[in-house]
Amino acid sequence: MFSLALMNGIVIGVIYALSALGVSLVVGIMNVINFAHGELYILAGYFSFIFADALGWNIYVSMAAAVGLVFLFGILIEYSLIRPTYGNDMYSLILTFILSIVLQNAYLLIFGPYPNKPPNWIKGATNVFGQFYYGNQRLAALVAGVIVIAAVFLMLKKTWFGKIIRAASQDREMAELNGVNTKALNMLSFGLGCALAGAAGVILAPVFPVSPTSGVPIALTAFVVVVLGGMGSMWGCVVGGLALGLVENFGAAFISTGYKHIFGFIILILVLAIRPVGLFGRSET
Amino acid sequence: MKNKTFYVTLLPFTALFCLLPLVLDDYKLHVVIVSLFYAMMASSWNLIAGYTGQVSFAHAAFAGIGAYTSGILAVKAGVNPWIGIGIGVVAAAVLGLAVGVLCLRMGGIYLSLTTLGFSEILHIIITNEYEFTRGTMGLQVPGLITHYSKSAYLYIFIAATVITLVVIYRLIHSNIGLNFRAVQNDERAASSLGVNVIGVRVLAFTVSSALAGLAGGLYGHYLLLITPEIPSLNQQFLVLSMTVIGGLGSFVGPIVGAFVLEVLSEYIRAYGEYHVLVFGLVALGMARFFPKGLTGLVQQYKTRQTHVMGEA
Repeated sequence: MFSLALMNGIVIGVIYALSALGVSLVVGIMNVINFAHGELYILAGYFSFIFADALGWNIYVSMAAAVGLVFLFGILIEYSLIRPTYGNDMYSLILTFILSIVLQNAYLLIFGPYPNKPPNWIKGATNVFGQFYYGNQRLAALVAGVIVIAAVFLMLKKTWFGKIIRAASQDREMAELNGVNTKALNMLSFGLGCALAGAAGVILAPVFPVSPTSGVPIALTAFVVVVLGGMGSMWGCVVGGLALGLVENFGAAFISTGYKHIFGFIILILVLAIRPVGLFGRSET
Repeated sequence: MKNKTFYVTLLPFTALFCLLPLVLDDYKLHVVIVSLFYAMMASSWNLIAGYTGQVSFAHAAFAGIGAYTSGILAVKAGVNPWIGIGIGVVAAAVLGLAVGVLCLRMGGIYLSLTTLGFSEILHIIITNEYEFTRGTMGLQVPGLITHYSKSAYLYIFIAATVITLVVIYRLIHSNIGLNFRAVQNDERAASSLGVNVIGVRVLAFTVSSALAGLAGGLYGHYLLLITPEIPSLNQQFLVLSMTVIGGLGSFVGPIVGAFVLEVLSEYIRAYGEYHVLVFGLVALGMARFFPKGLTGLVQQYKTRQTHVMGEA
């Protein structure tokens, strides 16, 4: 029971970290929270389901296509909804919240209330450390999640684009003075944030099938992770995501399954009461 | 609007609403009652969102607290619903104060995230504590009056709406209200002039939560069935859309929005379950292109008219 909860916690924690990275990236650069994050996660799940199941594409091709489409959709959202609200944080909160409800209802209309599931990448189960059998698909999701997170970190640390992102999230005006095109940067980073939600979606959809509202708990947890780790902090996302994944699964295993998702919010409230800037956050002036 | 004009405008409207049972059938009265509930919800949400610029997603949750507090007290302890609603309002105010103190010093995004989390916690508790709340089945509660009649409930809701509107009006037109707008316009400037920014926000949040508790309590005892739908995010979304479509930050806006959307949804309902999607799209378009809502549009039109007249 203990090791199984540990394993589940790590797998789901990595996915939380991945979707929180997308939120954190956008918060760090634009100071905007995308409340439709969970719906983009679901959108990628649906796309990969359509491409792989209904159209019969190769599963990896469908996953890449799904993430690509969600990236484009994110750019469209930024261009049409977020850009006019610069300087007024309240409207971006309201707009993305409305967008999330619109998308949920659109999914309900198009796909119906039933869960949909893209095919597994691999079959079978592996015996982990001689303790228990664990689904190969979940292990693959873990590996894929780690790879994507590593790629994001590499991009942030090693590439020119990553440098610009870090510069803009440290001091936006200074970056602008140094010739960063912040409009284009906003658009790209918002798209990237959405693509990360999409990546989490395609990775997790074979394990947890997608339904119109199943993105809500994922997004809420991602928000909790972002606050826990400190807004805009990338390492905070990884540590916070793992911590939350473990707490939830141990809580579900040893305390109550019905209250699985409540532990995260209790952590959120504790963080706000004790250390509002989060684990890795910088307190602003 | 000066104090006098406000009361002079409120009075005939109240009288007009009191006469409605003479002309409307029970179904239409029901639509009016539900609209009044939403007018209370949207107006009190507007107090925090429109006047202090803090987007709370827990307004429906506070309505749920009002409803469930008085509902559970009535069912489990036989408390009179009127007293129960009073206790519900106090419970909503206390929780509102707690949430407010906890996250309003951070403000902005933190408040939105925490209130979203708060409303989700409440939802989880309600669906899990089946013995107290009957979960998704809904809690059957006694009515406010012994003989159920739509017109009696209409009068109760009119009274409550008037109380809500007067409280909000008095608040935003007092010195404190001046502080509200100062805080919204420029937080730093306001605080440098000695305005207690956090205190103002916490006060607005507490009052707005208490008013939501009142609306929720009455609504629960009107429907006679309290379900987790009252404190749901969908409900929150409706309240938000009504305010945005009517006009965020304007006094009449939320009331207009509540009536327009509730009446409209009764018409759309005939065409199936599209109404949430339609509302969403309308609200999205409004928030994007006309952030001042319907009342803003009317005002724009009026000023244009006077401009034209001025030129002629």
